[in-house]
Amino acid sequence: MIGWLAVALLGGLVGLDSTAFPQAMFSRPLIAGALAGLVFGHPLDGMMAGAALEIFALIILPVGAARYPEAGTGAVAAAAAYAQALGAGPRPALLLLAVVFGLGWERIAGMSVILLRRENERLVARDAREPPGAEEVERRHLGAMAIDLLRGALIAGAGGLVGAFLLRALGPLWALGSVTAAGVLTVAVTGMVAAALPLFGGFRDRRLVFVVGLICGSLLLLLA
Amino acid sequence: MAFSRGVRGGMFLRSFAIQGSWNYRTLLGAGLAFTLLPALRELYRDDPARLDDAVRRHSGVFNGHPYLTPMAVGALAVLEQEGADAALIERFKSAIRGSLGTLGDRLIWAGWRPVCLLFSIGLLLTGVRWWVVATIFLVLYNTGHLLLRAWGFRLGLERGRSVAEQLRRSTVPGLQRMVSTFGAFLLGLLLPLLAVGGIASARLVWPWVGAAALAAFLGARYGESVRRPIVFALAGFALVGLLLGIVI
Repeated sequence: MIGWLAVALLGGLVGLDSTAFPQAMFSRPLIAGALAGLVFGHPLDGMMAGAALEIFALIILPVGAARYPEAGTGAVAAAAAYAQALGAGPRPALLLLAVVFGLGWERIAGMSVILLRRENERLVARDAREPPGAEEVERRHLGAMAIDLLRGALIAGAGGLVGAFLLRALGPLWALGSVTAAGVLTVAVTGMVAAALPLFGGFRDRRLVFVVGLICGSLLLLLA
Repeated sequence: MAFSRGVRGGMFLRSFAIQGSWNYRTLLGAGLAFTLLPALRELYRDDPARLDDAVRRHSGVFNGHPYLTPMAVGALAVLEQEGADAALIERFKSAIRGSLGTLGDRLIWAGWRPVCLLFSIGLLLTGVRWWVVATIFLVLYNTGHLLLRAWGFRLGLERGRSVAEQLRRSTVPGLQRMVSTFGAFLLGLLLPLLAVGGIASARLVWPWVGAAALAAFLGARYGESVRRPIVFALAGFALVGLLLGIVI
C-alpha cells in the first residue's frame, strides 16, 4: 500500500513537471520509469521500460496548443506495474506488455490534461470582461497547479494498480516465448528511434553525420 | 532604477511555474501575470488599483517557449517601469511571442531535449548504471535549461523593448544547427545498439536484427507517420501472444 502511495505521489510530481512546474524533465519516461521501478526495488527494469516508452515519446513535441499523450505519468504507471509484476511471466514478455499498457495509458493521461486545461480556462480566464486582480490571479494560478498535482497522482496511481493487475493476470498466459517478445519490441523501438531523424533535419540534410554515427555505433558493438 | 535583487529573483523563480495554469483561451497569460507580480507589486505598491490594472493587462493571451519566456518577462518588467502605455505593451507582446515560441521549440523540444535523451539511452545500453544515467541526463539537460532561462531573463531586463532585435542577432539559430547535427550522429550511433536487442536486455539472432534494420529504414524514411502503425502492430502482436496462450 505504501508503495502505491509513493507511486501516486511520484505521478503527481511527474504530472506537474510535465508542463506546470518546473519542467526539469524528471517527468521524461526514462527518468520517471526508473523512479517508479525504484519504488518496488527494480530501478533498472523501470528504466528499461521507461527507455522503451521514451523512444515512442521522442517525436512528440509539446508545440503550441497541440494535444498529445502524456508520456510521463503513463511511464510511471507502466514501469511501476512492470516492476511490481516481475516474476509473473517471462521478463521480455512482461516488458512488452508493460510498454503496450504504457502506450495506452499515456493516452488516458493525455485526455486528463485536456480536461485540466479546460478547467484552467474556467479558473483563470472566465472573466474576460472583468479579469481578477493581483491576489486572485495568484491564488487561482497556484490552485491550478494543485489540481494538476492531484491529477497526476490519480492517473499514475490508478494506472499502476490497473497495470499491475493486468500484467500479473496476463503475464503467465504469454505463449510466444521470450526471444519473440524481445525481438518484436526491438524491431518496434528501432523503427521509432529512426523516425526521430526528421527532428534533426532528415536523412537528406544529415546523411553524412547519421552514417558516421551508424559506423561508430557498429564499431562500439563489435568492441563491446 | 533597476529592480531589487529580491524582485529579480522572485520573477526568475516564478518563471519556472509560468505554465502552471495553461489553458486553451489565454494560453499562459495568467502565468505571465503571476510571474510579473513581484515587479508589479514593487512598481505599484502604493496604488492597488493600478496594480490590479497591470495584472489584468498581462493576464491576456500570451504564449512562448517556457524556457525563453523569462526574456519577455524581463522586457515587460522594464516596459512597466518606464511607464509604457498599454497599447505599446500589447504590441510588444504580440511581436515577441511568435519568435520565443519558434526558437525555443526548435532549440529545446526538437534539439536539446532529444539529444540529451538519446545520449542517456546510449549510456544505458552500453551498461552504465541506472542512477549514473539518470544523474547525467538531469544535470546535462538542466545545465542547458537553466543557462537559457538565465540568459533570456537577463537579456530582457537589460534590453527592454529592443530584446526582439537582440534575439534576431543572437547565436540561438546557429546553436540549434549544431545540436541538430549532433542529434543525427547520436541517432546513428544508437541504432546498432538497439537493433541487437539492447532495450529488452537480449542478444537477438540475425533475422530479428535484419527486421530491426528494415524498421529503422522505414522509420528514417517516413518519420513520425510510422508511430501509429508501430503502436498498433505492437498492441496487435501482444494480443495475439496472449490469445494463443489462452487457446493453447
